[in-house]
Amino acid sequence: MKNRQLFQQVRILDPVSAIDQVSDILLEQGVITDIRDSIIPDDEQIEVIDGNNLILAPGLVDLYSSSGQPGYEERETLKSLAEASQAGGFTRVAILPNTNPVIDNPSLVTWIKQTTALSKTKFYIWGSLTQNLEGVTIAELANLAESGVIGFTDNRPHSNLQLIRKLLEYAQPFNLPVALVPINLQLRGNGVVRESNISIRLGLMGYPEIAETIAIASILEIVSLTKTPVHLMRISTARGVELIKQAKENHLPITASVNWHHLLLNTEIVASYNPNLRFEPPLATEIDRLALIKGIKNNVIDAIAVDHTPYTYEEKTVAFAQAPTGAIGLELVLPLLWENLVVTGELSPLELWRSLSVNPLKCLKKESITLQKGKPAELTLFSPQQTWQVTPSQLKSLSSNTYWLDKQLKGKIIAFPQ
Amino acid sequence: MTAIPWTRKHIISLEDFTIDEYNAVLTTTSSFKNVLQSRTKKVPALQGQVVANMFFEPSTRTRSSFELAAKRLSADILNFAPSSSSLTKGETILDTAKTYLAMGTNIMVIRHSHSGVPLNIALEMDKLKSGVSILNAGDGLHQHPSQGLLDLFTICSLLDEKNPQISLLKGKKIAIVGDILHSRVARSNINCLLAGGAQLHLAAPPTLLPYLFSETINHTYKDRLFLHWQLPPALENADFVMTLRLQKERMTDYLLPSLREYHQLFGITYDRLQLCQPNVKVLHPGPVNRGVEISSDLMDDPRFSLISDQVTNGVAVRMALLYLIGNSK
Repeated sequence: MKNRQLFQQVRILDPVSAIDQVSDILLEQGVITDIRDSIIPDDEQIEVIDGNNLILAPGLVDLYSSSGQPGYEERETLKSLAEASQAGGFTRVAILPNTNPVIDNPSLVTWIKQTTALSKTKFYIWGSLTQNLEGVTIAELANLAESGVIGFTDNRPHSNLQLIRKLLEYAQPFNLPVALVPINLQLRGNGVVRESNISIRLGLMGYPEIAETIAIASILEIVSLTKTPVHLMRISTARGVELIKQAKENHLPITASVNWHHLLLNTEIVASYNPNLRFEPPLATEIDRLALIKGIKNNVIDAIAVDHTPYTYEEKTVAFAQAPTGAIGLELVLPLLWENLVVTGELSPLELWRSLSVNPLKCLKKESITLQKGKPAELTLFSPQQTWQVTPSQLKSLSSNTYWLDKQLKGKIIAFPQ
Repeated sequence: MTAIPWTRKHIISLEDFTIDEYNAVLTTTSSFKNVLQSRTKKVPALQGQVVANMFFEPSTRTRSSFELAAKRLSADILNFAPSSSSLTKGETILDTAKTYLAMGTNIMVIRHSHSGVPLNIALEMDKLKSGVSILNAGDGLHQHPSQGLLDLFTICSLLDEKNPQISLLKGKKIAIVGDILHSRVARSNINCLLAGGAQLHLAAPPTLLPYLFSETINHTYKDRLFLHWQLPPALENADFVMTLRLQKERMTDYLLPSLREYHQLFGITYDRLQLCQPNVKVLHPGPVNRGVEISSDLMDDPRFSLISDQVTNGVAVRMALLYLIGNSK
């Protein structure tokens, strides 16, 4: 393997320096050593890569995804998750604590760190907020912080507002992100699909918009009291975007993310009753979808989360309302968002990359990855034109619970030695 | 039996049924009703075909009706009961369907407590290019097409016994009263009664009749669908009144205070029928909570109640549906 690589005439995207241009770029031993209009290779030891029709950009960062391991290795292992990340252009992935056992203690954090130490993917680990994710007793946050978790989340809604208040107070000294799922469980009830004429027509229990917006409003009120920085996960409503916009205008320490599916699909597609279209919160209306895209554009919604949630065929082959929520995504996100939001002009390439790399790191209080001379080469090489078919054998993920199974996609990550 | 062109392979929902399809079902049902009234009561129309009754949700009435219909058509019947099935042994619903497919099933009659399962199975069967037809026998809160069609037949054949056509509904005022939100029967009935040109009035407390119902229908029907949160305007001059079963657990979901208040406000009684046309008829898909949706004496009164006709017609309608999809081109 040559340890110098020259990309010639590749399209470089760098949200940090706001660059979107075709250049030559030289990498030496994992560091970007030169970026210019034209670089002439000075010796034989340089591997020259034709960058025609390719995009070179900062590595993607996933704000939250589920690992099957430990506990659900039939869904995904840390190894398969790492391979799926690489195949999807993600150089860093933050994993959620809903493993079995739950990531609520330092020994498990240490074990995951050891297990993934040699992986090409950098793993961040979310520690739980409450013991065993039960929403009853606060987890030992100081110990978890000490062991190196990236932040705290239970990855599920809490109905007890007093618990949320105390969590936000107790977590404050650790100066790590706290991520909450804004859903009011009483208002949600048995809802599985957004309450609308569609839920009525399909005979599926309606999931009202206020289940999210009332929870957001409650959390924002608590944050204005405790001043603890909070990340709001999986925003799905136009009204939710509006509430977050107001909170940011009032300088509340809030960041927010959206599951990528909510940017591409609306509730009408549930008419097929495909269990892979069941999400928590559910797919929303077209008005919501457009508001979420606008939220990304205006930086009201900071990040697009992959929220990769693997389930086995058996677990997902049930009635829609019985299906566990979530779908895989690491290998699909970039091609699908590029083709459906960037090619159509709804988002610029830099806006997409900002929400998939720079901003997830900002939410995690980490430094951005950038394509500048002297910086480490943590990069993603993407071919927007290459087509491929989503099949279980094509996917590195052990699970294939996705609406796009068997479909043809345009856009693929190109592996190159880094 | 005259050949009626029929191309639909699966009957999942009445949402996209055409007028021609409704009339084909009505005409075919009429013929089978004659068969059932004849001495032999049986025809060889589906001889050699296998009909699997796959009732993932327990049912006695609908299952018996389908079973008898298939027997009258000389089909071979397989009955699937969830309690003794392999679903508890780690099999998926699709595995169960594939097992019946491997046995040579031609038509699967499927009932499930969750919406969408018959469609899920139909899509899988199509993906396998199996040629199997799926007949939805009621899925969750979604649709119950055979019940909708037997209600349609019951009304149309009362209006013209010799030639029941869906256009006979034109201008008729029909009220549907009760737990519309949780009713698959109501959804199928809304589809077929509006398609036939009826003036359709839905009546229930707001918790059981969200305004969203007015947004679920084809917009060309909008001026013929009326939502009422009180009973009297729905009953006024009505030609037919359909009542729906009220599940007792609705009280714990904060939807109703009591069965007593529900009956006071929305129960169908002799007194209430005074508001309707003098020859009004009452329908109920069964099983009835006597004294809740409908007063007990009224339910048994053949001058008003069509409930036993519905059950009788149910067999003929299901014969027609099995026959039509069993011979679809």
